[in-house]
Amino acid sequence: MNVDCKLKLLEFLPDGEFQHVRILDAELCRKCDAVLCLTLCPSAVFRWNYQHETEPPVLVYYRQCIECGACRLICPKNNIEFCYPNGGFGVTFKDGISVYLRPYTPPEMP
Amino acid sequence: MLKDWFAGVKKGTSQEIIAEKYYTTAVKKYDAIIAGAGPAGATAAYFMAREGMDVLLLERGPYPGAKTCGGSSIIAEHVHKLFPNFWEELEYERLISHQAYWIMTEDDAIQIAYRSTRLSDAPYNRFSVRRVKLYEWLVKKATAAGATVRFNHHVSEILYEGNQAVGVRISKPQDCIYVANIIILADGANSLLAEKAGLSRRVSAHDLSLYAKETIALPAEVIEERFSLPAGHGAIIGLIGYPTAGFNGTASIHTFRTSININVGLAVADIAQAGITPHDLIDRLKAHQYIKPLIKDGITTEYGANVIPEGGYFSIPELVHPGSMIIGDAASLVNGVHGFSLAMWSGFFAAQAASKAKKHRDFSVKFLRLYQQLLDESFVMQDLRANAPQAKWLRDVPYFFDLYSRVANEAAYHITKVYTIPKKAKRHYIFKKITSMQPIGKMLKDAWSFLKVIR
Ligand SMILES: Cc1cc2nc3c(=O)[nH]c(=O)nc-3n(C[C@H](O)[C@H](O)[C@H](O)COP(=O)(O)OP(=O)(O)OC[C@H]3O[C@@H](n4cnc5c(N)ncnc54)[C@H](O)[C@@H]3O)c2cc1C
Ligand code: SF4
Ligand code: SF4
Repeated sequence: MNVDCKLKLLEFLPDGEFQHVRILDAELCRKCDAVLCLTLCPSAVFRWNYQHETEPPVLVYYRQCIECGACRLICPKNNIEFCYPNGGFGVTFKDGISVYLRPYTPPEMP
Repeated sequence: MLKDWFAGVKKGTSQEIIAEKYYTTAVKKYDAIIAGAGPAGATAAYFMAREGMDVLLLERGPYPGAKTCGGSSIIAEHVHKLFPNFWEELEYERLISHQAYWIMTEDDAIQIAYRSTRLSDAPYNRFSVRRVKLYEWLVKKATAAGATVRFNHHVSEILYEGNQAVGVRISKPQDCIYVANIIILADGANSLLAEKAGLSRRVSAHDLSLYAKETIALPAEVIEERFSLPAGHGAIIGLIGYPTAGFNGTASIHTFRTSININVGLAVADIAQAGITPHDLIDRLKAHQYIKPLIKDGITTEYGANVIPEGGYFSIPELVHPGSMIIGDAASLVNGVHGFSLAMWSGFFAAQAASKAKKHRDFSVKFLRLYQQLLDESFVMQDLRANAPQAKWLRDVPYFFDLYSRVANEAAYHITKVYTIPKKAKRHYIFKKITSMQPIGKMLKDAWSFLKVIR
């Protein structure tokens, strides 16, 4: 089963206004030969960009991040900034129990 | 009381707007705020609320357990002492009466199993539980005791007045602050809050393991048949060697009522080195000839990944600070893969310290230090201290699990296989075979250091 099929089993509520995992400097990636982020990420958020000549060499599909927090520790150039998504956004796990497939209720305001 | 803090904030920022709101609407001050409604945070909230404290439990996910996955089982004795006869309330999955270790290579497996129906008598030994059920049960207990819980609330930083923690900031969409006398950090492994506040160092990629998991649905009878279990009983199998592709790490199988969880994990630093992605590690293990029959015709219902602190005793940060305490995974309180009970006990101890501090109206480290004391005297720290050298040792001997799984299986193979040579010659042959994999001197050295570590 490839990773995209695995991720289809999960629910995501992506935040269109805030990208919680980012590459700080695309130029550093251009000179990076380790590209450890591509191997490490369990949800294939980091992808090699075949148009790397003209565009940033590593794409960040942050909407499918499962928030393990590991990437920020592995980049040899300290080039990944990670924080958790804003309240209520992001992935949700339910241990395969379908009763947790609840409709989303927007976060309450103070 | 936040005046000084706000005085330092530039005018015209969103902070100022919040500050105005804070002073005009007289925001309520809690006795304690807990960031993270995991086993650590929810247990702390429960015991504090029971002491009559006004507690606010903040969780970034939309329901308990929404943000964590993998495993899992709990140790009955540890939980029973905090929540007597918890099995009457908690919806557990199976009573574990079968524990096994498989030492694996591509082709072989040495399987060491212990099973006993004595393990399934009250007060029981271990239960398999689904995370969401465990977290939900604990959070419900906390709210029933009087704690306030807010979901979808992401704590983005701890607020200070001088060096005294006095509140928390909630990120968007709420974009607000809450204030309290005591702030408890229970935000789990890789604690961003503690790091940002300068209460702990950034965790090392060697001290944190990344586990990928898959939940595979199967009918209850099929699980019982494949693992030869009495009805309602469950098995936990630890898998060593093959699953972690040449590095130290572990894999496990947990049986639930109508599904099983397969987990594989190794240090974050090693995954990058191994050159194999976490999802491929899982697939590789699922395709192993001895695992495949166990999950045949099963339907994968969930995939996930999560980190667990494995640095042990030496990676534990300072736990008590003016106005704040760090508990659970955020404090690296994990022994092997057991984290739930340590998290719950640390929450319990922190609650006692908090309650004492409230009685004396002193929220400096003076009374909060009781948390550290209770923890030090308990099984939590004593076990962690006893296992302290393990984490470092596994780093120093990175080939241990892989190489010795091979050696053990090679030996087992030749012992099992019948040859047409005399017994004595066979022994000599096996010795030659094994020492060709690792020189005898090196092997004795590793064995000696291993014994020193586990003694
Ligand atoms: C794959 C895997 C399998 C495991 N299996 C077992 C097992 O079988 N048995 C066992 O005993 N232990 C197991 N563990 C360890 C166990 O999961 C942890 O030790 C335990 O969950 C720690 O509890 P905690 O409350 O400290 O942290 P967590 O359970 O991680 O809870 C932290 C909570 O805080 C929330 N949070 C985080 N940051 C913020 C923030 N900024 N604002 C608001 N909320 C926040 C999170 O959403 C989460 O709900 C396993 C771990 C993994 C990764
Ligand atoms: S490891 Fe760091 S520097 Fe290298 S490609 Fe990934 S993000 Fe860029
Ligand atoms: S937090 Fe985990 S899942 Fe998200 S991008 Fe980083 S490594 Fe990938």
